[in-house]
Amino acid sequence: MKLFSEGHFLKGVAVIALSGMLLSVAGCGKTSSPTATEPAANQEAKIGVISFLSGGGAAYGEAIKQGLDMAKEELNAKNKIKINLLYEDSRGEKTDAINAANKLVNKDSVVGIIGPTLSGEMFAVGPIVNGAGVPIMGTSTTAEGITDIGEFVFRNALPESVAIPSAVKKAVDKYKLKTVALMYSNNNDFAVSGYKTFEKAVKDSGLQIVATETFADKDTDFSAQLTKIASLKPDAVMVSSLYQEAALVLKKARELGIKVPFVGGNGFNSPQLMKIAGTAAEGALVASPWFPAKDDANVKKFVEAYKAKYNKVPDQFAAQAYDALYIMSAALDKSGSATDRKKLRDSLAGIKDFQGVTGKFAFDAQRNPVMEATVLLVKDGQFTEFK
Amino acid sequence: MINSLLNPYYLQIGMFVLINAILGISIYLTLATGQLSLGNAGFMSIGAYSSALLTIKLGLPVYLAIPTGGMASVLIALIIGFPALRLNGLYLAIATLGFGEVVRVIFLNLKITNGALGISGIPSLNVLTGNVLSTLGFADGFAGISLQQISNCAVLLILLVILVLLLFFTRRLGFSRVGRAFAAIKADETAAQAMGINTTYFKILAFILGAFIAGVAGGLSAHLTFYIGPKDFDYHRTVEILIFAVFGGSNLVWGPILGALLLTLLPEFLRAASDYRMMIYGAILVAMMAFRPLGLISEETVRFWRTKLGRRSSE
Repeated sequence: MKLFSEGHFLKGVAVIALSGMLLSVAGCGKTSSPTATEPAANQEAKIGVISFLSGGGAAYGEAIKQGLDMAKEELNAKNKIKINLLYEDSRGEKTDAINAANKLVNKDSVVGIIGPTLSGEMFAVGPIVNGAGVPIMGTSTTAEGITDIGEFVFRNALPESVAIPSAVKKAVDKYKLKTVALMYSNNNDFAVSGYKTFEKAVKDSGLQIVATETFADKDTDFSAQLTKIASLKPDAVMVSSLYQEAALVLKKARELGIKVPFVGGNGFNSPQLMKIAGTAAEGALVASPWFPAKDDANVKKFVEAYKAKYNKVPDQFAAQAYDALYIMSAALDKSGSATDRKKLRDSLAGIKDFQGVTGKFAFDAQRNPVMEATVLLVKDGQFTEFK
Repeated sequence: MINSLLNPYYLQIGMFVLINAILGISIYLTLATGQLSLGNAGFMSIGAYSSALLTIKLGLPVYLAIPTGGMASVLIALIIGFPALRLNGLYLAIATLGFGEVVRVIFLNLKITNGALGISGIPSLNVLTGNVLSTLGFADGFAGISLQQISNCAVLLILLVILVLLLFFTRRLGFSRVGRAFAAIKADETAAQAMGINTTYFKILAFILGAFIAGVAGGLSAHLTFYIGPKDFDYHRTVEILIFAVFGGSNLVWGPILGALLLTLLPEFLRAASDYRMMIYGAILVAMMAFRPLGLISEETVRFWRTKLGRRSSE
């Protein structure tokens, strides 16, 4: 049975080819310039947000959205340049993030972009947005090499290469560590990057690594790895993973009688850690730019407003997103235009002495943040400053 | 109208549609022999990683690296094809799904693939065609459109040509001795064997062709998205490819292509629905399967439209 004759097939091909040609010839029109200047009064700046709003990491995306929404309300109440946030979901998928970025840049003509949530997404989205000449700022992209993508790529997420060494150094000074064991999740790009930083920091401090154990995201049983570590009796254990696994590692370790301090990467930096691990989290250390109980007027105001609105204490993702929009807005005010992307980039690059809820902030020449990390210790179920 | 068509956003979606259509063809070929092989994401990742590494580490030009990636997939398909194709139906599906996961875990642990961090900074087809075009004198664009847009159009055209070639090949194959052997195996493997068809040979052939096309599609997608990581090729990806075939209909090659087109466009159309996007997407899938369990396009559909349009069947 012949379903299509050869002639029909060729006709079909011809139609497809023709429409393809049309599409590419259609390309020969001209596009409207997205950077046309608008009247100065009542300017509105469109800022795109690419965030992980549905799927496995939606909790991060949600926190980022809440932080941004709050900053937007506050800013629009007082600033001349009004901000309009356009949210696009990336589902944590690279192709979705690319489509979202292309839509924001080319269809919605945004002046700048905040996001995406994951470093892997940024590696795919960054080159496109950078090529289009639109400033993009990651609020949670901590991996190495993010800002090497191009001069339009910024981040206000404290890279782990700054946070981890300061935590390791503090722990070494305080506890006089000699030997350590390392653990990390080997199927998570963020955790692997954190592990590499740990390894370097540990070696730089002259410590001996007695064991390096790996696990995977969503693992729930860590007894094999921890039994081995327990037998080697290190002075401390360093863990690089997301908070779910980190909490379970802590729980199991305490069960097996490992009483030494645990130093964590950014995954430890979540109130969820104490919620899941309970008392097992006591003595865990993490370096963070964000400390909700900090004795600072800005921080107190932010935490109270956030609590009133969302009925919970803001986490680091919310705090960094909140600061990111304030930084964007400060740069917009300085550039004096709500639509000029190049001007926004230049004024972003010049941001310094910015006082946000995550502390004093500036961009370095590589568009990475220059900021201080506070080392936190879990004590009585609370993060407290570790001195 | 013309201006909005040329928007890089639409061009990018067009590229993803074409890549997905090529993947649809790759799963169609194994389905044509009645074998449910779910190793496509695995083969795709082999193609993608080989091509990316060859261009980055060895400086091989992209137009050589992508077919080489496809050949690498073929090599692996040959090795695992013989034992795997002794299995049938769901057992084969599970074995090949397992294969895909094994490949992913290997890439996750190899040093050269940079583990979970993946490979970033892969030379992009858009940029490369852009460079070629600018040496041809299009550096400032052409007739008011930017170089970036011309090169996007060019890449879209290249992908379209590849898809049309594959379509042509698949259609020709369908009418050849090989295609009829595929159909015979699909209808009844034992009967086909009794008729003297070397079923192992043809099953492996279909498997290898599917692997090659998936490998090429993987290579193309690596060079379109700048970055690949093991996460991009997990079983979600396989299921997605399978849905193209199931949704569009797996009896005709147009089915997976239509499925790829609709299912790639749908999430973008649904962006307006923001929070409800994936919910609506899922609901549409369920509704489709309830009303058209054999997929959108089947022999029936073709016959129906042919009668309706008053054409004489060419049987």
